[in-house]
Amino acid sequence: MLQLSTRPGRLYLPSLTEAPRQGRSLLSHSLPSPAASPLFHPRAPHNHTCWQKRGLQPPVAPQHPERTQKRHGGLGLPAVLASRPLHGLEHTSPYFCKSKEAEIKRINKELANIRSKFKGDKALDGYSKKKYVCKLLFIFLLGHDIDFGHMEAVNLLSSNKYTEKQIGYLFISVLVNSNSELIRLINNAIKNDLASRNPTFMCLALHCIANVGSREMGEAFAADIPRILVAGDSMDSVKQSAALCLLRLYKASPDLVPMGEWTARVVHLLNDQHMGVVTAAVSLITCLCKKNPDDFKTCISLAVSRLSRIVSSASTDLQDYTYYFVPAPWLSVKLLRLLQCYPPPEDAAVKGRLVECLETVLNKAQEPPKSKKVQHSNAKNAILFETISLIIHYDSEPNLLVRACNQLGQFLQHRETNLRYLALESMCTLASSEFSHEAVKTHIDTVINALKTERDVSVRQRAADLLYAMCDRSNAKQIVSEMLRYLETADYAIREEIVLKVAILAEKYAVDYSWYVDTILNLIRIAGDYVSEEVWYRVLQIVTNRDDVQGYAAKTVFEALQAPACHENMVKVGGYILGEFGNLIAGDPRSSPPVQFSLLHSKFHLCSVATRALLLSTYIKFINLFPETKATIQGVLRAGSQLRNADVELQQRAVEYLTLSSVASTDVLATVLEEMPPFPERESSILAKLKRKKGPGAGSALDDGRRDPSSNDINGGVEPTPSTVSTPSPSADLLGLRAAPPPAAPPASSGAGNLLVDVFSDGPAAQPSLGPTPEEAFLRFVCKNNGVLFENQLLQIGVKSEFRQNLGRMYLFYGNKTSVQFQNFSPTVVHPGDLQTHILPTKRVAAQVDGGAQVQQVLNIECLRDFLTPPLLSVRFRYGGAPQSLTLKLPVTINKFFQPTEMAAQDFFQRWKQLSLPQQEAQKIFKANHPMDAEVTKAKLLGFGSALLDNVDPNPENFVGAGIIQTKALQVGCLLRLEPNAQAQMYRLTLRTSKEPVSRHLCELLAQQF
Amino acid sequence: MIQAILVFNNHGKPRLVRFYQRFPEEIQQQIVRETFHLVLKRDDNICNFLEGGSLIGGSDYKLIYRHYATLYFVFCVDSSESELGILDLIQVFVETLDKCFENVCELDLIFHMDKVHYILQEVVMGGMVLETNMNEIVAQIEAQNRLEKSEVSVLGP
Repeated sequence: MLQLSTRPGRLYLPSLTEAPRQGRSLLSHSLPSPAASPLFHPRAPHNHTCWQKRGLQPPVAPQHPERTQKRHGGLGLPAVLASRPLHGLEHTSPYFCKSKEAEIKRINKELANIRSKFKGDKALDGYSKKKYVCKLLFIFLLGHDIDFGHMEAVNLLSSNKYTEKQIGYLFISVLVNSNSELIRLINNAIKNDLASRNPTFMCLALHCIANVGSREMGEAFAADIPRILVAGDSMDSVKQSAALCLLRLYKASPDLVPMGEWTARVVHLLNDQHMGVVTAAVSLITCLCKKNPDDFKTCISLAVSRLSRIVSSASTDLQDYTYYFVPAPWLSVKLLRLLQCYPPPEDAAVKGRLVECLETVLNKAQEPPKSKKVQHSNAKNAILFETISLIIHYDSEPNLLVRACNQLGQFLQHRETNLRYLALESMCTLASSEFSHEAVKTHIDTVINALKTERDVSVRQRAADLLYAMCDRSNAKQIVSEMLRYLETADYAIREEIVLKVAILAEKYAVDYSWYVDTILNLIRIAGDYVSEEVWYRVLQIVTNRDDVQGYAAKTVFEALQAPACHENMVKVGGYILGEFGNLIAGDPRSSPPVQFSLLHSKFHLCSVATRALLLSTYIKFINLFPETKATIQGVLRAGSQLRNADVELQQRAVEYLTLSSVASTDVLATVLEEMPPFPERESSILAKLKRKKGPGAGSALDDGRRDPSSNDINGGVEPTPSTVSTPSPSADLLGLRAAPPPAAPPASSGAGNLLVDVFSDGPAAQPSLGPTPEEAFLRFVCKNNGVLFENQLLQIGVKSEFRQNLGRMYLFYGNKTSVQFQNFSPTVVHPGDLQTHILPTKRVAAQVDGGAQVQQVLNIECLRDFLTPPLLSVRFRYGGAPQSLTLKLPVTINKFFQPTEMAAQDFFQRWKQLSLPQQEAQKIFKANHPMDAEVTKAKLLGFGSALLDNVDPNPENFVGAGIIQTKALQVGCLLRLEPNAQAQMYRLTLRTSKEPVSRHLCELLAQQF
Repeated sequence: MIQAILVFNNHGKPRLVRFYQRFPEEIQQQIVRETFHLVLKRDDNICNFLEGGSLIGGSDYKLIYRHYATLYFVFCVDSSESELGILDLIQVFVETLDKCFENVCELDLIFHMDKVHYILQEVVMGGMVLETNMNEIVAQIEAQNRLEKSEVSVLGP
């Protein structure tokens, strides 16, 4: 227990309000106010003596003469003191450097110095080695890669001096990656120390194994450690370390840890005298019993009796393990966690004892606190929350469940934010129990209030989760309306999730569907940007399938569209619904067909290509629904801005719809443009999306390539110009909805997004390209950087490019293959995606290109964040008086910013496992398009940018790679695995990255290469 | 399990970084930066738990942190740990530092980096909690100091 009385004036509370002071005692808050200089903060006088006491030199910025003096003063002190610092470390400390450059310079100097010391002829004594190794650790801490010193550290391991051994082990556990050569040496040293029977050395060795935890170490030691753990003569500290070491090895590679007769003896460690040993053993058993519950079943009764002894003890019984008047809180929590691995005990006596324990904990929560310190209540409540978790886990004692719920209810209004947070979180699980669901519901007002007033977004998020969990038919309207209200002010990070939740609740608990339609339209109105496709698709599906709500829906969207500014998603929903069911409100003169049409058409010009495409389909449906609008609509379709629209999709729709409306008879029109058939019922796509979003806070899940460009200003104001953007067939927006393709949809536009050659009515037909089609050429560039991008009879475009980290430079060579000058030659780059490029102003391309000449253009590219759409190069020029124009995809794909990463099998699998969420993985199985040659495949994978890792995959036929995609905003780690099957001529490609769209995109790009 | 322990000052300078899951060096630095930005923008007096950054595993992991004077102590843990328990553990660690350094301050972490690591090693081992009893931890460290002293005095400086 802490003797607080001996430390007057020191509060064991995080100090919150003071400005930063580097030299300030962490636990104190009573020092004088800080100096302003960020480089050197004068310490309170007693702290100066503090330095001298320890023989430390005050850190010195050389430009302060008085401080230099103090430094000399410091040097005169005796160096040998109990806690002697390693001299010179402070010189390494760039904390005292003015700038990043100065820091790097200083560190490089220091590294060179250490390197020369290590390389020098003079053998270093142990102390110097220790000093330099420690400096290296410090430099590593500051973020500089250390590529030497490993050998010196390994040498320190075999020293028989404790301190040298200790720093050696520290260096190894912080810095060593699985360098096979060294691992053998390290393992040797560990083996010697384990066999030394010197408990201090044994502990060091066990620590090292646990900290590194690699497979090699597991293979070498997994068999020995159980023996050390249960040996009768092992010291307590060794047992403690051995238990955790074994646990770590088991977590890393469970197959290596043999179960055996030692397991029974491990369970009996729960009875050990030494609480530290018990704590370590509980952790170990909790992990082991998940795999083999039966082997460890006996632990239940032992854990219950141990817990009961702790819980019922007076706060002084356990002496050292009493923390702020709470007996052994950590161990209690661990024991309660262990019990959560099992169902309620079968033995009535054990069960009775346990229930008694749980009741005691709940009772103690009501007692007045023994201390006002936050630590006291923290420790007490840590046990309480774990107890409540156990009660919820058992879900069999209605009495305890209701008590737990009441207790949590009290916490909902506690002044400690942490407790409110945890109470909301626990209640979420409680809400799913049938015994307590009703009890949870009584707190609805408090939770709604939390959603409105909490200052901390983490807590608000928990409140939103709980509202979602406690929602049922009886309170759905209230909860949905509160969530809608919250949405207006909600943090951007969680808006999309709230939108999804509201959409799901509205659908799930809708009694009448007009409420549902209102809710979704409200969602779009309040947070249109966050309403994903799934949500508005779903409302269309439901409206299509339920004829009782169609008229209401048509009326409501018509009203919503009257708003002067309405979200584009509203236009989409409105366009679709009116196109299908506009006739249901056409009787009202206020919403007569011409009014409906002009309302929709007033939004047309402000919308994106995809929406305009959808509206064109609505128009043709209008022609069927309301023959009186035919002339007006045909006029719109016939307008030059539609028929000659630069976007092929719009152009094609306009042309085809116009023709359809003029040539087809009314009957044919009525058949083709019939109302959509009902959609087959299937799982709500929104629910699937929420599941994919793996819970709260994944606010970035919006990035699946169709982020509203205006909502993130990444392109620095460069709006994608619809005339040149090759949108991946916008008809997908319509088609995405259907189960059966709508009859009105035009045949998929041919090759939209590959090459757009504007057909100018006054120019000659575009020259066909020679050689590979532009799409093929583009694909070839995925794995290489140089080559010919495009060639036709007039023009050849060559590319040379290089990429480093998130930067790239691309040289474009335009060769005039004719003998006639090109005039007004202007190549421009547009970026529909999130990639930003700059064209160097100095290298502007001349407006004229002589016959046979070649001009060069340089593009500097910076990848700001991950992107899916490549930039487009649009080249316009006049050849012999005729305008020529072509648009190509520039070969800049996300994989260009790959940095290969080498890693060992162990690390690879660890990372692979970390990326195990379904949305992080993309997989494709496909037929080989090229002969399956291992060397070619290797070259392609290397060209793709990843490192190829040998000896990772157990099957040598397979390829495994790793790398990091560097963008300015973030880095995305990528792991890939390619499994060729020569017999079937198939490949299976699996990609895992930390970002969902990246996995899919890379997978698609790479799959096309083989 | 504890995935990482990060200590940095109010300016984001790392003062103690310990990962129990191997990350490449540059990713480690990024995690520190990302965590710093996550923690920095939070007011004091709001709750001490938040979701992990994108690099360290997102919402599967929680960051549990405490702010002491000039330093942030951040533990990144998975769901198997009790949040309040980890808060207590941070306090135990800091109080132990305070006992060992007498009025611990940021400079102690800079100049005695090795020692701070050793203290941490007595508390957390390979991502698992080894000991929570402060007296026991301090006793271990004092034993180490005695060993060190005896070695030094045998050989001289």
